[in-house]
Amino acid sequence: MVQTAAWVTSLVFMSLVFVVYAVVAWKSREKSDYEQVKKKWTKARKIYATSLVTVLLVVCIYTLRELPYDLPIYGDDQDPTVVDVEAVQFGWIMSETEFKVGEPIEFDVTSSDVTHGFGIYDEDMTIIAQTQAMPEYTNTVYITFTKPGTYKILCMEYCGLAHHYMVSEITVTE
Amino acid sequence: MSTAIENKKLKSNNKLVSTSLLLGGVLIAVMMIFGILMLLAQGGVIDVSDAAFYQFLTIHGTGMVGAAALAAAGVMWYFLNRYVELSKKIFIWFLGLVLIGVVLVVIGVFSFKYASAWTFLYPLPAISANAWGVTGALLYLFGMLILGTGFLLLYIDTGRAIIKKYGSLGKGLGWDVLSGKKKVSDAPPKAVVASTMVTIVNTTALIAGAAVLIMNIINVINPSFTFDPMLAKNLTYAFGHIFANAIIYMGVIVVYELLPKYANRPWAVSKLFLVAWTMSTAFTLVIYTHHMLMDFAMPKWMLIMGQALSYANGLPVLVVTAYGALMVVYKSGIKWDMASGLAFLSMFGWTVGVVPAVVDATIVVNHVMHNTKWVPGHFHMYMGLGAVVMLFSFTYYLAKIDSNVKESKLDKIAFWCYAIAMFAISAQFLVSGALSTPRRWAIHYPGWMTPAVFGAIAGVFLVIATTIFIIHFVRYLKNRGTVGSGLNEQKPA
Repeated sequence: MVQTAAWVTSLVFMSLVFVVYAVVAWKSREKSDYEQVKKKWTKARKIYATSLVTVLLVVCIYTLRELPYDLPIYGDDQDPTVVDVEAVQFGWIMSETEFKVGEPIEFDVTSSDVTHGFGIYDEDMTIIAQTQAMPEYTNTVYITFTKPGTYKILCMEYCGLAHHYMVSEITVTE
Repeated sequence: MSTAIENKKLKSNNKLVSTSLLLGGVLIAVMMIFGILMLLAQGGVIDVSDAAFYQFLTIHGTGMVGAAALAAAGVMWYFLNRYVELSKKIFIWFLGLVLIGVVLVVIGVFSFKYASAWTFLYPLPAISANAWGVTGALLYLFGMLILGTGFLLLYIDTGRAIIKKYGSLGKGLGWDVLSGKKKVSDAPPKAVVASTMVTIVNTTALIAGAAVLIMNIINVINPSFTFDPMLAKNLTYAFGHIFANAIIYMGVIVVYELLPKYANRPWAVSKLFLVAWTMSTAFTLVIYTHHMLMDFAMPKWMLIMGQALSYANGLPVLVVTAYGALMVVYKSGIKWDMASGLAFLSMFGWTVGVVPAVVDATIVVNHVMHNTKWVPGHFHMYMGLGAVVMLFSFTYYLAKIDSNVKESKLDKIAFWCYAIAMFAISAQFLVSGALSTPRRWAIHYPGWMTPAVFGAIAGVFLVIATTIFIIHFVRYLKNRGTVGSGLNEQKPA
């Protein structure tokens, strides 16, 4: 799950930052010649900077391989189901709400008033995809459900006082 | 005689800067209370009406950034004024306009129920589903416009003064040093480089903000006047992201000035330092698109650049500023007190806040994290544990050099209380985000409530700690000038 990966990655690197600062604070009680400290750690900075740039570059390129904006490659016998989604203060108007597991779906999302956010939540209330619902624009969410169940659509962009009531449901069957 | 005049001028300047810090500090504490109320409501502990919740949300977001920017501008002005000649009159105008703006925003929100959140995403100010009217929207939007004008005036003056002394804003960033026309030893001081960067980015941000505010104002008055919502969104985030981001770039001047002094070590300007600040200038201006990663209609290259440049934006702080601060402190025998301790803590907050920020700027992560509580998680860490801590570091520093007010044990307790509470608040937001809890929701489903309650409890300790910081500063204000060591402090580290 992306959320778990994000949380664990953040926790690991945040802990690393904490340890570095704690060690430096602890060592600050000692006194050493600054020229020597500078010489040693300026040299170390080159290795640190090179490693950091390399890691960031690799992660950046790796995570850019598959983007939610890209149209999936469908098989010959796979015609996606196109669903028109219109957000309106404070509800969702959808051309279809019942789908099958394995059925490729394209949610064409727009809004007739203000900006909303189209967020799809699974039965565990974990968000699995989203896009912005913008007036005058259409954003497409490509999704193929792998599990049956009742999924919720939540508004993910503040749109007025009943924003948190802007919840709808879709059903996915075997 | 000249010393007496200098002393008088310094005292008067300190008074002005103190006003911005006191106003900013008190507003920050009050905004924290709104934050606690929202978390308590989301945690199901108290009952807050939907209208009140979103009013709190609007004032909390607007107020926190505005208050921190106000105080940070005071800090920048204080240090920059040592190297260039700034106009005191302009600073007074700045304070006045900000105050007028704040009053209008508060009236708009609380008397006229305006609640668009700080983002005022077009066309929400005009289409409120009858939650607020034209008057509320206009009070808020005009308030923001006046507040922004105050800031713009200030940055025009800082830009003018830098150009007058150094020749151009490029030279303020040390480009003549980078091009080899000038020796590194003749490079502008760190405070000037940072102030030049902030002048450039915030002038741009404020112009973008003014444009979208004015368009919204016209739309509210005459709904037949419409404009492209995507353009509006770009302008809104260009304004909001840059303006909020620049707070830490103003605040970090405290770290540059204080840590070398306390550690008794030089922290000289190098070519790497200048390159880092030029990078920060460029990245800060363009990475706002990471707020729009879920706007699939945006040009794809802009969104990919949003991710790539957000990653790159971490480099100047991770490789240069934070690393430099750590080198200055490491085995230095530094004298720890509230000012130096808070300066060091702020660098930790900034560095640690980069981690969840970079994670969230990753498009595939943003696809499931955007507008969840992960987002406030990362910026509470970066702002609350970074930028705001820099401001309080400065207040303790000012109290130390310009009064005989001593730090007590209570201040030390407040230091740890603040650090732990702010970290706990940020962490609960991150946990909530990992649990898919949407941000800006007046109610939470049962599975999302626990972190919110935890955050509210931590928030109470945070307010207590912040109040202790402010009390110390108020004590300074009552005893200002009793030491007279201000002139010694003029010497840059």
